[in-house]
Amino acid sequence: MIFLSLSMWYIRIPLTDIFHIIITKAASPVQDLQAINETHLAVIMDVRLPRILSCAGVGVVLALSGVLFQGILLNPLADPYTLGVSAGAAFGAGIAILLNLGNTLVSVPAFAFAGACLTLFMVIFLSYSAKNPMAGLSSNNLILSGVIVAAILSAGISFLKFIANEQVSVIIFWLMGSFASKTWPNVSIITAFLGAGFFISMFFARDLNLISLGSKSAASLGVDLKTVTLILLLSGSLLAAVCVSISGIIGFVGLLVPHMVRFITGPDNRKLIPLSMLAGAILLLFADTVTRAVLPHEIPIGVLTALTGGPVFCWIFKKNRFK
Amino acid sequence: MRIALHNLSFAYDADSYPAGMVIKDFMGSFMAGAFYSVIGPNGSGKTTLLDLIFGFLKPISGLIEIDGTPVVSLSKKALAKAVSIASQDHAVNFPFNVKEIVVMGRHPYIPRFSPPSAKDIQTAEEKMDLCGITHLQDRKINELSGGERQRCMFARALCQDTPILLLDEAFSNMDIHHTLQMLQQVKHSVKEKNRLVISVFHDLNLASTWSDDLLVLKKGEVKAFGRSMDVLTEEIIKEVFEVSSIVEYNEYVHAKQVYYPIH
Repeated sequence: MIFLSLSMWYIRIPLTDIFHIIITKAASPVQDLQAINETHLAVIMDVRLPRILSCAGVGVVLALSGVLFQGILLNPLADPYTLGVSAGAAFGAGIAILLNLGNTLVSVPAFAFAGACLTLFMVIFLSYSAKNPMAGLSSNNLILSGVIVAAILSAGISFLKFIANEQVSVIIFWLMGSFASKTWPNVSIITAFLGAGFFISMFFARDLNLISLGSKSAASLGVDLKTVTLILLLSGSLLAAVCVSISGIIGFVGLLVPHMVRFITGPDNRKLIPLSMLAGAILLLFADTVTRAVLPHEIPIGVLTALTGGPVFCWIFKKNRFK
Repeated sequence: MRIALHNLSFAYDADSYPAGMVIKDFMGSFMAGAFYSVIGPNGSGKTTLLDLIFGFLKPISGLIEIDGTPVVSLSKKALAKAVSIASQDHAVNFPFNVKEIVVMGRHPYIPRFSPPSAKDIQTAEEKMDLCGITHLQDRKINELSGGERQRCMFARALCQDTPILLLDEAFSNMDIHHTLQMLQQVKHSVKEKNRLVISVFHDLNLASTWSDDLLVLKKGEVKAFGRSMDVLTEEIIKEVFEVSSIVEYNEYVHAKQVYYPIH
């Protein structure tokens, strides 16, 4: 999949050349690469590979975050943005663009990440109660707090767009999501979060299974509900925040992938987590390849995932619910 | 195993304490090798008492000890190996199959990142057999009836294989055949494995027939606690439940039974 999408773009490069480039590059970085077309080398190593790897990484992370949210909130309709992380990131990014920090390129993602984190802490602060931590972190409380905070932030985003004048298109385009001009640092950030997130979620996978028995049964089996819920909630939200700050808001992957994979593997998180991650990578890579190589014009990937994922989801939902 | 409760008090809203007390100054102990039943009207604190014993709720004042160790100082894992509960809440949010649910009862014994061992699977199969749900093992839990689901939860609790077993109206949706079958299992393990069982009942006759001791609660206070034979009287039923009744020893069941008139 990765190799196929490497080859397809405005400049088509034969698959054999790609293998050649990557193998030579990996084997001996200092060796003379004259045999290979230098344009192709630059295109592959500096443009396509980072873009493709960060795209696959974001797909993995979104799917993982979706599994975590659905598991903790006990709701198959939850997704990485349920707690308003996307609205927070969008607001942060909007401010950065409005203040003209966009030229530095690092600042917009940094602001987006900060916005997402602030939103998350706000949501947890709203629902948490020291007196009764168990009831405070219940799924209803969290979802409600998320909806409230997201509603306020959406109004904030509208206000930013209103006062942004000519920059409004920049904000809108950023929000719709894209993997254009992703660099190696993006890849390393997403890989780091991916690794940490995968370890944490596999560590607590069985506890997450038990949580679906209800809080009482889970507690009687030795699950430390408060700690597990908080850790997984924080990891899920941070993962979502990283995705949004790297590639804008890409909807549907986090909702759709865990849901579809659950039809195949069943709800056991020990299988659901790794397979959803794989499926997330494939799905998003496919979507990104379609936007940049198949379609005549590159359209925002967030739009494409929702436009194609939505109907597929409707079909699966209808078929499985009433069979 | 022995559970001792010292001056135990609990309220859901700590600020209103002592006004909204659900358990008031409870003193008493439960010994291994006996079947205890808790009876009382709705809202008398029966479920709360069980929740306190397995550490789900923390007492506002007082202390619960298991074999002399306070419950609050036991690790979650140690507690899960000592006390199991089949609670009345048997909703499962994702479509796990029955066998997966029962194996979850082995959670405290399975190390992280490891699959269940052959012994865990064997235990789960034994318990499914005991509860008559072997034929349901591949069915999804959310497609079963309430009574079948309760039997799964019961099997899961048995699978945890703990010296203390708490039953919170664990039979409420089961038919009489399965209720008696489960009670027979529990009674057997009390005698053979010296288990300590505390069960919340609404059916006074079942409670009287199957339990050694009865605990009668009303508004968080202990109204009576002792041998079923001594505790169950027309007076206490009138006082606690506000209904008239006749209580008689029944030769057929070898226990006192309660009969209610039509008003």
